[in-house]
Amino acid sequence: MNKGYLCLVLHSHLPFVRHPEHEDFLEEDWLYEAITETYIPLILVFEKLLSDKVDFRLTISLTPTLISMLGDNLLQERYLRHINKLIELAHKEVDRTRWQPDFNHLANMYLARFYEARNVFERYNRNLVFAFKAFQDSGNLEIVTCGATHGFFPLMDVIKPSIRAQVKVAVSYYEKVFGRKPKGIWLPECGYNPADDEILKEAGIKYFFSDAHGILHGNPRPKYGVFAPVYCKSGVACFGRDLESSKQVWSSVEGYPGDYVYREFYRDIGFDLDFDYIRPYIHPDGVRINTGIKYYRITGTDNNKQPYNPHWARERAAEHAGNFMFNREKQVEYLYDLMQKKPLIVSPYDAELYGHWWYEGPMWLDFLIRKIYFDQKIIRMITPSEYLAENPRNQVVTPSMSSWGYKGYSEMWLQGANDWLYRYLHQASLRMTELVKRFPHNPADELTRRGLNQALRELLLAQSSDWAFIIGTGTHISYAVKRTKDHILRFTGLYEQIKANSIDEAWLADLERNDNIFPDIDYRVHQ
Amino acid sequence: MAILRKIKEGLKNMIRGKKTVRKTAPASGQKKKEDLSAGTNKEALGMRETAVERAKFSHPEPTRRPWSMPQDLPGGYGQDRAVLQVRDPWWLHAYWEITGPTFDSFKTRLADAFYSAKMVIRVYDVSDIIFDGKNAHSFFDVKINPQANNWYIDTGGPGRSWCVDVGLRLANGEFITIVRSNTVRTPLEGPSWITDEEWMIPDDMFARLYGMGFGFGRSSPVGKGWQEKMKREFFSSGIGSAGISSSPVKKQVKERQFWLVVNTELIVYGATEPDAKVTVQGKDIRLRPDGTFTLRFALPDGKQVIPVQATSADQVETRTITPVVTKETR
Repeated sequence: MNKGYLCLVLHSHLPFVRHPEHEDFLEEDWLYEAITETYIPLILVFEKLLSDKVDFRLTISLTPTLISMLGDNLLQERYLRHINKLIELAHKEVDRTRWQPDFNHLANMYLARFYEARNVFERYNRNLVFAFKAFQDSGNLEIVTCGATHGFFPLMDVIKPSIRAQVKVAVSYYEKVFGRKPKGIWLPECGYNPADDEILKEAGIKYFFSDAHGILHGNPRPKYGVFAPVYCKSGVACFGRDLESSKQVWSSVEGYPGDYVYREFYRDIGFDLDFDYIRPYIHPDGVRINTGIKYYRITGTDNNKQPYNPHWARERAAEHAGNFMFNREKQVEYLYDLMQKKPLIVSPYDAELYGHWWYEGPMWLDFLIRKIYFDQKIIRMITPSEYLAENPRNQVVTPSMSSWGYKGYSEMWLQGANDWLYRYLHQASLRMTELVKRFPHNPADELTRRGLNQALRELLLAQSSDWAFIIGTGTHISYAVKRTKDHILRFTGLYEQIKANSIDEAWLADLERNDNIFPDIDYRVHQ
Repeated sequence: MAILRKIKEGLKNMIRGKKTVRKTAPASGQKKKEDLSAGTNKEALGMRETAVERAKFSHPEPTRRPWSMPQDLPGGYGQDRAVLQVRDPWWLHAYWEITGPTFDSFKTRLADAFYSAKMVIRVYDVSDIIFDGKNAHSFFDVKINPQANNWYIDTGGPGRSWCVDVGLRLANGEFITIVRSNTVRTPLEGPSWITDEEWMIPDDMFARLYGMGFGFGRSSPVGKGWQEKMKREFFSSGIGSAGISSSPVKKQVKERQFWLVVNTELIVYGATEPDAKVTVQGKDIRLRPDGTFTLRFALPDGKQVIPVQATSADQVETRTITPVVTKETR
């Protein structure tokens, strides 16, 4: 019989980036890269596990912005264009490296991967959400939701109606896509503020996650630390993150992804090759970008990199999966003795860590799941809702305000570089509340209703924590600044026009076409 | 109990951190490596999560943008208002707007006293009370730049509730409120001292679980190395100041990193009848519709013999031309 549980959580998120007004838009590549390097490799791992009849449990958050983009026709078309260009480039690479055996087999590997990505993409009718839905329907994956546009809740404390809108829009969108209500939510950036769980409860959500100190510094003191969930006073459960297992994957020092045989993220042919040759595959302005074709392994700390060897990397990924499992077994045995109860280890990661950043990540996950299934009996993979069904009795604790961001609180999103945002974000939210008060019932006038709904879309898009995050990192901030300003200004325009009862229909229609997220939104959730 | 206190201390430093985020702007994708590996010496909570999340957005910026920047956001909204937010257990951030007319009314009311007054933020500890302006447990003033419209405040008091007034302190010591903020509560910096009877836990057991929750636990050789390192780093460091200002500017130390990379490629191109079949080193190649072709090879050191053979569509004629290229690097 097992002595404890492992709950692996992958948080997948990208902000809503869709620019029909431009033929080519650099930031849309965030999505295309994640599709090729993370989402499709994960889907392939899950498919193979199912066909090999390996029963597994994973929890994955798909943010409403990501689901929207994956389902968007324009972005699907553009992904195909993107992958076709990569296939073309990979063909050229196979030719070009003919006299370099160390690289030639890698060029062939990429060519095969890109073809495979295109096949998977077409197989799911270009919408990968269907793939994840199928794994949820088979009972292997628990898909949780997130804030509608990944707004960071602790910095929305003075505008609770916006938190409510973030949650409720997300929940109804989830229902529309998956045909059932979400059981859980990944709070954006794991950002929790006491009493936010009340809003989750209103929306029918049963559980959320917090970082370790959210639970450990909770009140009263949690008897089982992070190794059992707690209930907030609202009855919504909170699962605390285990940092030991997290660090093994995340840490750049002892973490697996830094191993020298693994593929080097920063050596990409988009930067390495002759400008004229690579030009058709980089940004039309001639700015070099990552193509995804990377030939080197991490090798060491200096810049002298050796060619990547997929076989060594695969061996190492298997070794690391074994190490991770061994450590969890030891951890669970120790905790089981200490707690006199089966501990639950919650290990959440950014999904995009797997494949995009850590190329071998999906492979590691595959090995780990198989090893857990075949090689041991101490730990069992579980989803939060399964855990709660089996262990309904838990302590009542109010978790502490916390996030999984830099230093554990709000500083990443509230510092010298980005603190100016909140003045505008809060004001827009107050104005939205004012509009809802003014139009408590869906107005009979179609145009006003459309204006109100679009106003909420613009507000939500402005609230994405990604903008503050990028501005906070201090590099390449102009897109993030522009997006914040654009959405605030569009919101303000709509607010003024609605109040003056003079909505510019053509302009509104334009906004609806470009910022077309959440087609069924109802502005009245903002209260 | 001692264990718990020790872990708490370490944690305090860990969460509080002694570094600010490195804000270097790498010139290219490759350069970012150094930027991120700067975190390898010491890792603050959430540092890797931040680095990985950042890699999602890892693109250089095009030098010119097809768009024009939007019109600017307003400087203010013409409302007297102050908003207080929590940055972490110790620090608050306040932003405010005080309109011209409001300032003028104070100018008129206070006459000469206005000009000798100092702009201050009065920070009230309002934990567990309904604040009426007079009943705060304690308060302190932070002198601010009169032009400022936001400020970071070191409360020194985790787990407390706070409210601030932005106002004027007159020469005679009197304080005049201009605008009052909302109330916020800072989180605890360590575990709660409150336990509940039903879920009682001995202190030493909690200390162990607490440490494990933060990855200080014992479980594996790998984990152990990491714990040792974390302990060394977090427990040995003194109390750091999270000192920040409204516009922190990090000084960059430029290291000398001169470098040179040279690669060679060979272009083989030619033309034949558009319907001919062409092989290069025995491998079929595709012709353009006009019968021309171009191949590009990375050229390693050594000798390359490159037979190019064309066969007519009716397979009657064959031509072979064989360039031989020798490359050496000195």
